[in-house]
Amino acid sequence: MNIYTHELRAYTKSTIIWTISLVALVILFMSIFPAFSKDAEEFKKLLEGYPEPVRKAIGLNLESFTSLLGFYSYVFLYFSLCGAIQAMNIGTSILSKEVREKTADFLLTKPVSRSKIITSKILAGVTSIVITNICFLIAVTFMASYVKNDSYDQGTFLMISITLLFIQLIFLAIGTFVSVIVSKIKSVIAVSLGTVFTFFIIGMLASTSDDEKLRYLSPFKYFDSAYIIKNSSYETPFVILAILIIGASISAGYIIYIKKDIHTV
Amino acid sequence: MNVIEINNLTKMYGKARGIENVSFNVEQGEIFGFIGPNGAGKSTTIRTLLSLIYPTSGSAKIFGKDCIEFGPEIKKEIGYLPSEVFYYDNMKVKDLLKYSASFYGKDCSKRIKELAEIMQLDLNKKIDDLSLGNKKKVGIVQGLLHEPKLIILDEPTSGLDPLMQQKFFELLEEENRKGATILFSSHILTEVQRLCNRVAIIKDGKIITVEKISTLQENNYKKFKLLTSVTVDKEYFDMNGVSNLVLENNTVSFLFKGNVNPVMKKLADIEIQNIWVEEPDLEEIFMHYYEKEE
Repeated sequence: MNIYTHELRAYTKSTIIWTISLVALVILFMSIFPAFSKDAEEFKKLLEGYPEPVRKAIGLNLESFTSLLGFYSYVFLYFSLCGAIQAMNIGTSILSKEVREKTADFLLTKPVSRSKIITSKILAGVTSIVITNICFLIAVTFMASYVKNDSYDQGTFLMISITLLFIQLIFLAIGTFVSVIVSKIKSVIAVSLGTVFTFFIIGMLASTSDDEKLRYLSPFKYFDSAYIIKNSSYETPFVILAILIIGASISAGYIIYIKKDIHTV
Repeated sequence: MNVIEINNLTKMYGKARGIENVSFNVEQGEIFGFIGPNGAGKSTTIRTLLSLIYPTSGSAKIFGKDCIEFGPEIKKEIGYLPSEVFYYDNMKVKDLLKYSASFYGKDCSKRIKELAEIMQLDLNKKIDDLSLGNKKKVGIVQGLLHEPKLIILDEPTSGLDPLMQQKFFELLEEENRKGATILFSSHILTEVQRLCNRVAIIKDGKIITVEKISTLQENNYKKFKLLTSVTVDKEYFDMNGVSNLVLENNTVSFLFKGNVNPVMKKLADIEIQNIWVEEPDLEEIFMHYYEKEE
């Protein structure tokens, strides 16, 4: 419990900053919507001028773009990008931080098992993400009801919004795994930005290509909002894949960390 | 009773040597010195005891329990001070010590105050703002605040000024009087000489000898230096117990270990102008151990 509290306290500042940024992003993007919907036809014409692959890559769908849910699924891509960076940051720093700040000796010579250390740290990371998600949900729900032009399906809206948490959990798990296998991470932000943008670009490519398989490579594409809007459900294979990635990364992280030699630095 | 039992402990870093077949025991109530040059394997041994690293083969027991299997349990009674201390920079000294104490499930606030007073440590400063010596003090308080039964120190004195070092040694001696066993690693002999009852000497990953400080220092070794009238052959001194033999013109000097009677008889046959027989200091014995292996 003491490690959990300590870690949570260490994340306070970054959690606040990320949450505020995300909420600001939500307010900014969502407040554009009324302008879009008002001049819907003109925007459509304007956007038709973009080549199709470009529209696909940035997640634009002309048919649904002017409805609230359609617009939301477009901007949501960028909320999830922001959230992914936050989660990857936390994950990557979970254990690498002890090596970088050379505090591993302090923590590991205390009467606690390594599995307890990693559990507390992951839980603190998850807590930080959950707090961000709660604030995000409140902000996005409020903004949606404020800018809506028509009634929209709130269930579907929530289903899309909650995928932010899923994507974040995936990146948290990947980050944790990276922080265990890479012995010394000099800059967390470089590793996390690199990883997240790689997946993001793969996701863009997956959108432009007709090859469905590419979608499996990018967590950003696991929860397709068009599919959610149409079917009011998630795609089972991708849900299973997400669970597998999280499970595998976290278990591998545990196993390696428990057996790892902690060297002097 | 043995507080630490190390049996044939070996640690290889890939193909590189860490330590090989290290075995020694530390008895309860002892201040045990662990000396050797840098890179000899002192830290490797200590880090294995603390299960920071895992042995390639062999085992070690602390309080009669395997140090890997029962790691978290035995660490309740261990206080550890690493050679280099780094703590969460953005914390205050007070908060770090509280965090450290929270692992032991007992109230340590009184002891923290006492120790901070002895070491003249300002509890309200940020760790970030502390000098190296003051960080070291944080490390000392952190290692002792839960009144451990076993104190493990890895080159603890670097960065402390002589006055603080003195206080720190007094503190250790007091803990020892109260019943704590201490394992003290160092490459500085004088501090070991002062504090320890017994020492293990390690070189190139192997234990060379485990002996009482008093044995090392007084009983066995004599430093001979003589000025002879005629030049003497090197072979003349070729006998058991002679080491570090240096012949320079008519001056002969060597270390002698063992019964002094044979060597005295041998010396009686030489025409001697002057002779000095002295107790060697530990440094010389130490060098002797180092060189012997080469």
